[in-house]
Amino acid sequence: MARHTLMFGWEYPPRHLGGLGVACQGLVRGLLHHGTQVTLVLPHGDVEMDHGVDLKCPTLKQLKEIRVRSLLQPYDAPSTYAERVDGMINQTPRTDVNLYGRDLGEAVWEFEELAVELTKDIQPDIVHSHDWMTFGAGRRAARHHRVPLVAQIHATELDRTNGNPNMWIYDQERRGLNAADHIITVSNYTKNILIHDYGISANKIDVVHNGAPFTSALSGTPQLTNDRRAHPMVLFIGRLTVQKGPFHFLEAARMVHDMNGNTRFVVAGDGYLLPDLIERSCAMGLQDSVMFAGKVSHTEARKLYTHASCFVMPSISEPFGLVALEAIAHGTPVILSKQSGVREVVPHSLLVDFWDTEKLADCILTVIREEPLAMQLTAEAPHVLSHLTWENQAAKVLSIYDKARINF
Amino acid sequence: MTPPLISFYFQVHQPYRLRDLRITEIGRDNVTYFDEEKNRAVFRKVAEKCYLPANRLMLELLNRHPNFAISYSLSGVFLEQCGEYGQDVLDSFRALAATGKVEFLAETYYHSLSALTSLEEFCEQVEKHVHTIETLFGQRPKVFRNTELVFSNEIAEIARLLGFHGILAEGADHLLRGRTPNQPYTIPKFSLPEATQKLIKKHKIHRKPVEEIAVLLKNYRLSDDVAFRFSDRSWVGFPLHADTFTSWLTSSGGHSVNLYMDYETFGEHQWADTGIFEFLRALPRMWEQWNIGTETPSKVIALWGDRPKETFDAHTHVSWADIERDLSAWRGNRIQEAAFAGIYGLEQEIKQTEDEALLHIWRKLQTSDHFYYMCTKYWNDGDVHKYFSPYDSPYEAYRRYSHALCDLKTRLEKSSKHQKSNSK
Repeated sequence: MARHTLMFGWEYPPRHLGGLGVACQGLVRGLLHHGTQVTLVLPHGDVEMDHGVDLKCPTLKQLKEIRVRSLLQPYDAPSTYAERVDGMINQTPRTDVNLYGRDLGEAVWEFEELAVELTKDIQPDIVHSHDWMTFGAGRRAARHHRVPLVAQIHATELDRTNGNPNMWIYDQERRGLNAADHIITVSNYTKNILIHDYGISANKIDVVHNGAPFTSALSGTPQLTNDRRAHPMVLFIGRLTVQKGPFHFLEAARMVHDMNGNTRFVVAGDGYLLPDLIERSCAMGLQDSVMFAGKVSHTEARKLYTHASCFVMPSISEPFGLVALEAIAHGTPVILSKQSGVREVVPHSLLVDFWDTEKLADCILTVIREEPLAMQLTAEAPHVLSHLTWENQAAKVLSIYDKARINF
Repeated sequence: MTPPLISFYFQVHQPYRLRDLRITEIGRDNVTYFDEEKNRAVFRKVAEKCYLPANRLMLELLNRHPNFAISYSLSGVFLEQCGEYGQDVLDSFRALAATGKVEFLAETYYHSLSALTSLEEFCEQVEKHVHTIETLFGQRPKVFRNTELVFSNEIAEIARLLGFHGILAEGADHLLRGRTPNQPYTIPKFSLPEATQKLIKKHKIHRKPVEEIAVLLKNYRLSDDVAFRFSDRSWVGFPLHADTFTSWLTSSGGHSVNLYMDYETFGEHQWADTGIFEFLRALPRMWEQWNIGTETPSKVIALWGDRPKETFDAHTHVSWADIERDLSAWRGNRIQEAAFAGIYGLEQEIKQTEDEALLHIWRKLQTSDHFYYMCTKYWNDGDVHKYFSPYDSPYEAYRRYSHALCDLKTRLEKSSKHQKSNSK
């Protein structure tokens, strides 16, 4: 049994944008539950870390040293340069990093350079890297410690870019995946992408779906309020990026609006597409039907879920889609893109191909019209949450560690 | 000790699957609900893999072995599809009928669950089916089997009053309570209300009801050895040979071992390369050697004669589906109940229109498969293969079905407006 995992993460709550941070935290907690020792390396220290996790992150001193090293080679020795900059060096962990900013490539490189130095004193049984930003670090650490590398993919470059990848990132991913002894994907959907678009062998990949950090908020028999019946509301929550399919949502909204003018639509979330989306919805004549709520707080989201007739996730390519589980926890019927991972664990849902906006509209209208359907989705879907726990999912990860160690 | 008789009955049925109906089509003129292309493709696939080769083999066996006899129940919607997609299949069944050694059973024409909700509709569908079988195969069915072997005391009593000698049922353990399924049973004596009896009499199939209806029970263990387990490599009985199976049959004892199964067992559920056809071919020869007779359900009943029958007491419904052997495969969740109530709620209005085409469509929507596809019993386990369905999910099944229902309602409205304006 692996008892000590050296994990390289990138984002971590509360500093996170997407599913990676939440999943990483969930997994760390699940592993701790099973008594696994976790050393977690992050590029920044501005996090609320669980008790029991050995957190490591670069200090400004370390960062400056590696920058210096790269700058000076081959003109100068690091030690002499260090004397000159000594006065500037700060020993505290840095907190000012922009996780996905313009310096991403540099940050990734820094992280990789420091991977061994930060962890040289520990004795891990396994190295576990999350997404391409940490693959280089994982690779170096695994080589140094002579233990297997498990690479986990939360999203591929193809998911993020609608099939127009940044080739440098794509190459980083491929290199990392090829170097890994074993790979974990968060869905069969993503596993298939790795097989078909990255040329990875299927038997190197195991699927561990993300755990659900939500419990069912429902109690007793679900009731459909009269308000929902008279003024149906359809909800989209997600970053307003191409990947999440907000334009498909608007397209479906227009068709629903044509059939049922009472229906309201809420688009919650922020992103670079917001101005375009507002413009498009006005051009469609939906200015009185679609509301752009911006980024919403947890409390606001809860209210929206509770009032929504259905929640729609029309993502173009969604490795998992945690937000769907959140909707389910609030008893909201969900309509999911077939191009998503979460559909694999949410059998009680309606499914559409993201491009089939006509069918999406049809499903929305059906859920609004057919009370028994809405009631059944509301009542049945949350059952999945009780067994999709991070404790259970971490147990699966541990058995993958074992497999990787046996085959190492 | 004389060995038991062997009695084969094969169910042959194909539903009319629904197409990807869209909400925008509701209310348009002459919207079709059924997926012509899919239904044809499935029919032809099963015809090539099962119906045609299996019928060929059966004909060969019936001709070669004088003591070999079998029975079928062909649903009305299956026979209609033969008309549309497979005259060759229908011809091959007629060739079997011509041997005189094949019994055809009665069922509801539309393979429906009407017995659960509308006596009149149920009787009409049985009548229609009996009439169809008589026309096509020249025999008037004497034994009744209800859709998916859904059975209760009441259904059996209705079948008796309609004039059937026997009815088939699942040999469910909880009703047998340790007794053998290998002998004819009967139901407890009771009377249906006068009005009910009167209604049934209007649809009588045979003139005089028998005193006691015989209930023939499926031996599900031995039937399922062939139907479900034959090619299961993890099964202790694998590979199953004709001699082993025959020894199981004889040691099962009793009056008759009733082997009831879907006909698709041969070639479709168990593919040809599993050896299922060779297995079937070997059985009659082996039974001849062992002096084991095969009989049709009517003959099984006749050979039991006047011997007293024990009571098979089904206060609630039993069926041959799943381990539960109840109605939960068709009426186990909200959407199934809504669909069921929705379709049968239209009965009076549909019949008032006296529009044959509308009536036919309404009835095709009663086929039990539509509700089966909405089953979510094992859905939580992700065991999607448990329930074979042409649709993505039970919810997709419901989406299509509810659209068909909505459109049917708009047709009804149009039709009644039409009638009103005519009567003015």
